[in-house]
Amino acid sequence: MRILSKIKQIGLLMSLLTLLPFMVAAMENSECMDCHGDADMVGKELTIEPLTFDNTAHAEVGCHACHASITDQHPDDGLAPSKAACNECHDEVNDEYGNSLHAGYADCNDCHNPHQVRGPTAVSGQDMNLKCAICHERTEMLETHGEWLPQADLHISNLPCVTCHSASDEYVISLYIIKRQSGTMFGKFDLATYDELHEFSGGKPIERLVDTNADGYISLAELRMFNLDPAKKQLRLQGMMTPERLSHDFMTLDNRWDCSFCHASGPGAMQVSYLSLAQGDGAFKRIAVEKGAVLDALYGTPDFYMVGSTRSKALNYVGLVILAGGMVMPIGHGTLRFLTRKNRKNEEE
Amino acid sequence: MSPKTRIYLQPTPVRIWHWLNALGIITLCVTAVQIRFPEHVHMFANYKTAILLHNAAGLVVTFSFTLWFIYYALVSRNMFKVYVPSKDDLQYGILRQAKFYLLTYFLGWANPHHPTPENKFNPMQKSAYLAIMFLLVPLVSLTGLLLTNVSPMRDLVLLIGGLKILIAIHFLLACSLCAFLFTHVYLATLGKTPMAYIKPMWTGWEEEGAEEHPHKAS
Repeated sequence: MRILSKIKQIGLLMSLLTLLPFMVAAMENSECMDCHGDADMVGKELTIEPLTFDNTAHAEVGCHACHASITDQHPDDGLAPSKAACNECHDEVNDEYGNSLHAGYADCNDCHNPHQVRGPTAVSGQDMNLKCAICHERTEMLETHGEWLPQADLHISNLPCVTCHSASDEYVISLYIIKRQSGTMFGKFDLATYDELHEFSGGKPIERLVDTNADGYISLAELRMFNLDPAKKQLRLQGMMTPERLSHDFMTLDNRWDCSFCHASGPGAMQVSYLSLAQGDGAFKRIAVEKGAVLDALYGTPDFYMVGSTRSKALNYVGLVILAGGMVMPIGHGTLRFLTRKNRKNEEE
Repeated sequence: MSPKTRIYLQPTPVRIWHWLNALGIITLCVTAVQIRFPEHVHMFANYKTAILLHNAAGLVVTFSFTLWFIYYALVSRNMFKVYVPSKDDLQYGILRQAKFYLLTYFLGWANPHHPTPENKFNPMQKSAYLAIMFLLVPLVSLTGLLLTNVSPMRDLVLLIGGLKILIAIHFLLACSLCAFLFTHVYLATLGKTPMAYIKPMWTGWEEEGAEEHPHKAS
């Protein structure tokens, strides 16, 4: 009995030791945020949105991990706090990026705000592209891509640039809710914000807009229900083929010039999809969608179709029946024609 | 045996339209197979080639359809007469023609329809072509045009119900057109000789009696 109690005590101690760095980091962070979370105290430029920062991986290591020179007297000591270089932790990414064409043109901070940065699955494809658009102007991109890529506009609007311009090798379909921005019939659709979705959900968690039974999983039936609901006609799902992991080489790989990289992979490659929803802290939360839902013939994802990849099996069968119907006359009539050929031959003589 | 007489059945614009259409539709069907089943079919060098060829053939068919429409509606001005079944066609003609195809043809009887430039299609042909030329081809062409460049007409695509509905309409109508093609080509060989109906579509002239079996004219 005493041995069991000892084991329990050791276990508790181990757990506390494991969590200690994070607890300390959280305490440190909250001290910093007392001032830096308030724009009135430190000014807009030095303000860090506490909720957004709390959900980054950097929050876990704590403010002091990157700003080591900060003393208890800050800011009265008048010293400018030190800033850690990204490569101190992210050395592999740094090496990879250093060898890319981008290295001479943009630093890490040009694309990643360390107080907001998240992994690729917690960022929307549209937001990823906003980073690229800082340097790569859309009109120019349409022009250069249009020289070889059919429907360049459609591709650029519906794909994160990194899907083609990085050596990622695992892709899923991410479904984002977009909203018609004006009340008119033909208003522009933009990615729906958390507040907009909250308004539509009528006070319920926004996941319930699609995940109606709140089981943390989106079935094909729930997708269809969302897409056919007249009350949600201002909302629709935008599908994007997004990478699960990102490399930082940002090159145009040879196989991306070939449309078959995405379009000839067949329905087998398009089985995994997620609904990705904006959260209050600016991150995106993923909810798994039923396997193969994007291959549904009509209402699973009515406005997402990748030629050659997301075809419906049911429609294939209907098409086959129609084609077989067209063969009835040549085969059936042709056979009888052959068998009765003597009747016509005699009459022509 | 009486000397053979010929009638000018297919004017030049109609023949140009027909063979442009034939070339376009066959190209569309072949490329479509690779576009829909790219992991199984590799007829063309790459996927992009199949797509571009499909788009180009679609434009050819749309252009040839326009040519056909302009010719019949504005030049010969007999579109209604040629393509719309008459009351007699609907009441008796279709049944009469069906009886020929399904029964009396095998007995060696004559085709009850005798083509003239003003009435070149039998009642069944008229009904089929009416549906094909005024419904099927325009709808396949319009859905195809929308799919060729989705972004500028996105709102129209949404009005239809979305990209997948549009694809489904295009795919099923195209399958119907392809199914008709099988029947069309087969029926084209049903004249007195297998080439008797096909030749006039190339030369314009049909020999009278190409469709007849003289002994038992009904």
